[in-house]
Amino acid sequence: MNLLFLLHQTFCGAVAAAGFGMLFNIGMQQLPWCAGTGALALAIRTYCTGLGWSLEGASFAAALAVGAAVQLLHWRMEISPTAFDVVGCIPMVPGSFAAKAMLGLFAAAAKTGSGDTHLLIMALQYTLSVTFITGAIGTGLAIPTLLLRVRLPLPRGSRPEH
Amino acid sequence: MLLGKCLKGFLVQTQRNVRNEVELADLPELMKACPPLGSTPMPSLNAITMATLDAARVLMESGGKAKSVDDLVHMIAHGLGAESAELRIGYASLGLTISIGHSSITRMKKVGSIGVNQRLEQGLWQLAKRGLHERLEAEQVEDQLVQLVAATPHYRPWVMALGVGLACAAFGRLLGVDWRGTGPVFFAATVGQCVRQFALRYGLNVFVCTVLVSSLASLLASIGGHWAGSGTIGTAVIASVLLLVPGVPAVNALNDILEGYPTLGSARATSVMVVLLFIAAGLWIGPVVLNLWR
Repeated sequence: MNLLFLLHQTFCGAVAAAGFGMLFNIGMQQLPWCAGTGALALAIRTYCTGLGWSLEGASFAAALAVGAAVQLLHWRMEISPTAFDVVGCIPMVPGSFAAKAMLGLFAAAAKTGSGDTHLLIMALQYTLSVTFITGAIGTGLAIPTLLLRVRLPLPRGSRPEH
Repeated sequence: MLLGKCLKGFLVQTQRNVRNEVELADLPELMKACPPLGSTPMPSLNAITMATLDAARVLMESGGKAKSVDDLVHMIAHGLGAESAELRIGYASLGLTISIGHSSITRMKKVGSIGVNQRLEQGLWQLAKRGLHERLEAEQVEDQLVQLVAATPHYRPWVMALGVGLACAAFGRLLGVDWRGTGPVFFAATVGQCVRQFALRYGLNVFVCTVLVSSLASLLASIGGHWAGSGTIGTAVIASVLLLVPGVPAVNALNDILEGYPTLGSARATSVMVVLLFIAAGLWIGPVVLNLWR
């Protein structure tokens, strides 16, 4: 594992998370926490992919770690968990894959020859990657939330069934 | 056989009539048990429901997950004295039934355009906690909600645009854009965010705005990348439009499905897909314009 590359990815993850934190109107005092969660997410994902994991598996591990860290911080520091876990994972959202998938589908639709299946296969691969990575991030974030969720002080039996 | 059927029908009708008579006979007693119309708790029930629904609407519009909206509704409703609160969460509307004793009321509320505003979300949770601990009245909650929406601070547009530009540049580096292409990504995303803020402020449709910003940012990144001599122009172009990718709704969609709200989760996923489609359309328009210009 190249330490310089790991530091580079971690720093870029922190900057991306903090920048998007501003877009989501997170307060200035809490932006360092956003940067911290983004850095944690990218550090774990880069480390796992360096070990030979798939991008989906590495994204799942990173989201799981961020979700757990944010829930623990929420207990100790009264911070909003929804603000930080999602923002921390924003740098891992496969936006570029999604754009490539859509462009690939456009290109495949524009081609009329029968031998142009390569474009379609590429577009489908990107689409599947987007689906699985987003699924991995969402599941990784949801598991700590569901396991470690702070119970609200509401009367028993008053909650609706879904 | 026909006679038998007629007799059976007669007996059933007689039983119904007897039951109706019994119910009608009980009516005066029931009416005595009920308070007069003017003193029923309906007005306060209505106020509780509308205040709770307003808070839920604001949280939905601030990008809250379905579970968070449900939790907030329960906190506020119980703080206002409701015994039970049952919420139906849709993408464009909310329905809420509030009960106190034997009285209950159902109201609906339309949800506006959904964005992400974490400071407002935090303010809502503080309001809900205050309502629970200080036993605020429904009117007080409504007033404080209006104040909260009006007083929630925002970043200055240029500060936000610079932040978004930096974030997209960092994204570009994560995707493998070389250093020569990082500057154009920063510039294109900053200009794109400025245009987006301006367009949304003047009421432009969200999807039209997405195409406009996507094509403009991709065009700027492409021209800038060529000018700077970048070897990764294609990736730089994609990095410059990542400010438009609806990351929070995408993650929320899956969370909603996992937490037992598949309808809302599916609706969110559909809207994410449509936004991605419009981003791709903008990415397609940008190079076409560039080629025409050349």
